[in-house]
Amino acid sequence: MSRVIIRRLTKAYDSVTAVTGVDLEVAEGEFVSILGPSGCGKTTTLRCVAGLEIPTGGRILFGDTEVTALPPERRSIGMVFQNYALFPHLTVRRNIAFGLEMRGVRGAKAARRVADVMEMVQLPGMAHRYPRQLSGGQQQRVALARALVVEPSVLLLDEPLANLDAKLRDEMRFFIRSLQKRVGITTLYVTHDQAEAMTMSDRIVVMFDGTIHQIGTPEEIYHRPADRQVAEFIGSSNLIAGRVAEVREGYVTLETAVGMIVCRAGHRPAAGEQAMALIRPEAAELSREANAGSFAGRIVACHFLGNLIDYDIVLGDDTTHRVQTLGETLYAVGDEIAVSVPEEKAWLLSK
Amino acid sequence: MAAQQVGPRNATWLLGLPGAAAVIIFVIVPYINIAVMSFRVSSPSRAYDPGFTLDNYARTLGDPLYLGVLWDTVSLAVIVAVVSLVLGFPVAFFLARTRSRWQSLLYALVLSPLLVGVVIRSFGWIVLLANNGVINQLLGMVGIGPLGLMYNRLGVTIGLVHVFLPFMILPIMNAVQSIDPRFEEAARTLGASERRAFFRVVLPLSMPGIQSGAILVFVLAASAYVVPELLGGGRVMTTPTFVMQQLLGTFLWPFGAALALVLSATTLILIWLFTLLTKPVMRGLT
Amino acid sequence: MRRFPLWLLVFVALVYVFLLTPIVVVVATSVNAGYYLAFPPSGFSLRWYAAFFNSPSFMTALVLSLEVAGVAAFFAALIGTPAAMAYVRSRGPFREPFRLLLLSPLVLPEILTAIALLFFFNLFFSGLRSLVPLVIGHTVLIVPFVFLTVTSALYNMPAQVDEAARTLGATPGRVFFRVTLPLIKSGIIAGTMLAFIISFDNVTMSLLLKAIGTSTLPIQLFDYLRLDFDPTAAAAASISVVFTLGIVVIIDRMFGLRALRF
Ligand SMILES: Nc1ncnc2c1ncn2[C@@H]1O[C@H](COP(=O)(O)OP(=O)(O)OP(=O)(O)O)[C@@H](O)[C@H]1O
Ligand SMILES: [Mg+2]
Repeated sequence: MSRVIIRRLTKAYDSVTAVTGVDLEVAEGEFVSILGPSGCGKTTTLRCVAGLEIPTGGRILFGDTEVTALPPERRSIGMVFQNYALFPHLTVRRNIAFGLEMRGVRGAKAARRVADVMEMVQLPGMAHRYPRQLSGGQQQRVALARALVVEPSVLLLDEPLANLDAKLRDEMRFFIRSLQKRVGITTLYVTHDQAEAMTMSDRIVVMFDGTIHQIGTPEEIYHRPADRQVAEFIGSSNLIAGRVAEVREGYVTLETAVGMIVCRAGHRPAAGEQAMALIRPEAAELSREANAGSFAGRIVACHFLGNLIDYDIVLGDDTTHRVQTLGETLYAVGDEIAVSVPEEKAWLLSK
Repeated sequence: MAAQQVGPRNATWLLGLPGAAAVIIFVIVPYINIAVMSFRVSSPSRAYDPGFTLDNYARTLGDPLYLGVLWDTVSLAVIVAVVSLVLGFPVAFFLARTRSRWQSLLYALVLSPLLVGVVIRSFGWIVLLANNGVINQLLGMVGIGPLGLMYNRLGVTIGLVHVFLPFMILPIMNAVQSIDPRFEEAARTLGASERRAFFRVVLPLSMPGIQSGAILVFVLAASAYVVPELLGGGRVMTTPTFVMQQLLGTFLWPFGAALALVLSATTLILIWLFTLLTKPVMRGLT
Repeated sequence: MRRFPLWLLVFVALVYVFLLTPIVVVVATSVNAGYYLAFPPSGFSLRWYAAFFNSPSFMTALVLSLEVAGVAAFFAALIGTPAAMAYVRSRGPFREPFRLLLLSPLVLPEILTAIALLFFFNLFFSGLRSLVPLVIGHTVLIVPFVFLTVTSALYNMPAQVDEAARTLGATPGRVFFRVTLPLIKSGIIAGTMLAFIISFDNVTMSLLLKAIGTSTLPIQLFDYLRLDFDPTAAAAASISVVFTLGIVVIIDRMFGLRALRF
């Protein structure tokens, strides 16, 4: 196992710069996801770590070893590709044994390692099949086994679940995560699916347009996003613009068109500055009676989601917001209600 | 993906060196040589005499006999291309759209004449078209003939169409196959009859295939040597047969080179004109 | 709804008759007892085949054809396969020009290429006394067929398997022999067989580049047809047809004819 250190990584193709100045450290045994919209440079970053692309600038280190200029076969990595890239002309067993063979591990020792890893990924009795004779989920497991059997120091996965159906995807999420924990391997995982990143990762890296906007635990990313782009990409968000009225330690009071909102803040803005309050849909509370600090609203739509009820609410400034509550449907379209936001549940974003 | 991005240490281009070298040395250099040769002074006793001249081109372009041969060759090639298109399009369309389980056999049957040598196919036509050949014998039974089917332009045309028809069928077939059948269905739902859907949708969309098939057949027919020689029996003169006569019979190399280059230049100009003329129908298709 | 109108089916059938009759006729002539294919045929006989196998000139020509086609196809595979890899795997401004260069023997009029090579060998290598010019001429002529089939085999390779092999510790050389080659093998074989057929059937290039006093089977046939017509030629032609079709069937059985893309 080893740490992965990426320093000021830049990758430019002929016409586009795919990644600019990426800095990232993945600790030993840590599971880090790279999350971002399509084309933001996730795959490019991962391929640079794998050695499949030569960075235009910056360095990559595994532990204390500089690998920036090493070809992929000398990096001790395991990689799982989105379409698995299993060798169609080799059986499952020989696919898995491929990396061992390349390292000169043969015979009984290799056979035992292959058998072990096949058991680990729960692929009994598939050894002599060809990849095309396997289901998507089984192919996925073979790809994992093939990457893990050589006991690489770093595991790289590029949207490995994108080709699976929703139920299998859920299952594999937990499977991969628990496998990773058991093996304790340093893992870099690329996805554009936030639920995937949230449930699996120790930390998440959020990228836009080739740059990192935030690195943090799933909770930090969700509750304390670094900027508006991150806030809007992760989950759904209500944003209310205003002016900073008062700054206390860790808290800021924002004066908005609908009333005063007390937010938690990660930085100290100057009084009078323009800013925004982020309120997640489940953070707001609804009631029939107004109380101190609540604002008036009217329900314009109501969706039953099973475990949640999803309301669209128009506030005094004619903006529409989304609030989710647990339990039964208590309000109907047209109801006038009061919306309140507990002060630790709003988050300040600079404009 | 095919795109290998293993950067500067990627030396795959080196793999192309033997191929590129072979073609440059044995195709490009000889072509340059022949182009230079066409400006040499012809000599009856050796490859060429010293000095350079435009005489060969002057002789070629000033000689009504050769211009006649050139015209015959080009018109023959155009006729062959048109006939091949008329015969080939329905077959290509059928092959592209049929769901018959014989489809791959039918495809192989189009392909295989291509793989049977030209000489053998000309042979077949000689047996069929000769004065005492199969067709004239059959006609004789009903009291017709014998007709002169061979050793004239008719025979050469038949032979060339036969030899090059697959080159018309294959590109058109590929073009039709890549047309989504839903385009036709959409046209039908919009009120077009089957015929109109064909002429307004399928035909225009298969133009790229028709264009490449036509160019291919035209070029191949204009530079064909074996078929005119065998089915023309020396009585149908085309540029390639004429050039071969000059080269093998009289050894006037520089003159032969000029003749061959004039034919190639003519075909290139005609292809250019043809693409220019078909450009409006090709808009948005390639 | 019927898929095709009747007239179209009839028309297509007639075109097939047109395409296949001459070949059938050649075979019919070869097993016909008489000197000419007469109607009604005068009986079945294999005497022309006997004549063919007893003819020293036909036998020498057959052997020469097989030799030239074999050697040329081998060299074409040897340079065409890496060329296809170079084209598919590299990027840059020379990619398309390189492809055009490799396809040029297919695009340029064969007769002109043959004449150009004839002059070239005569001027720079003083004459045609060996088989070398013939083999070189055939090789450049058939390289495009190997190039095209292998290119399409490479494009049809599953995505990223070569990269996967690299991440598993294989050097580029081992990636080629362990992953790429097994996956494009059928393309290489099919392309080489096709190249062999094209060379085996070639007339124009052979006519100009053969060593003086030798001839390949198609040239022998060509001379027979021009000078003295004799059904022995039909036997020779039929054997060559059967041989060609045999190879086509093998390619089809092994890889499907679609492996041949050109
Ligand atoms: N080989 C290449 N040549 C040129 N541009 C490329 C190449 N590969 C990627 N790019 C460009 O680099 C940018 C980042 O691409 P990348 O594949 O890293 O995105 P991604 O975040 O993985 O997206 P997705 O979620 O769609 O897979 C894109 O704008 C893309 O068009
Ligand atoms: Mg990607």
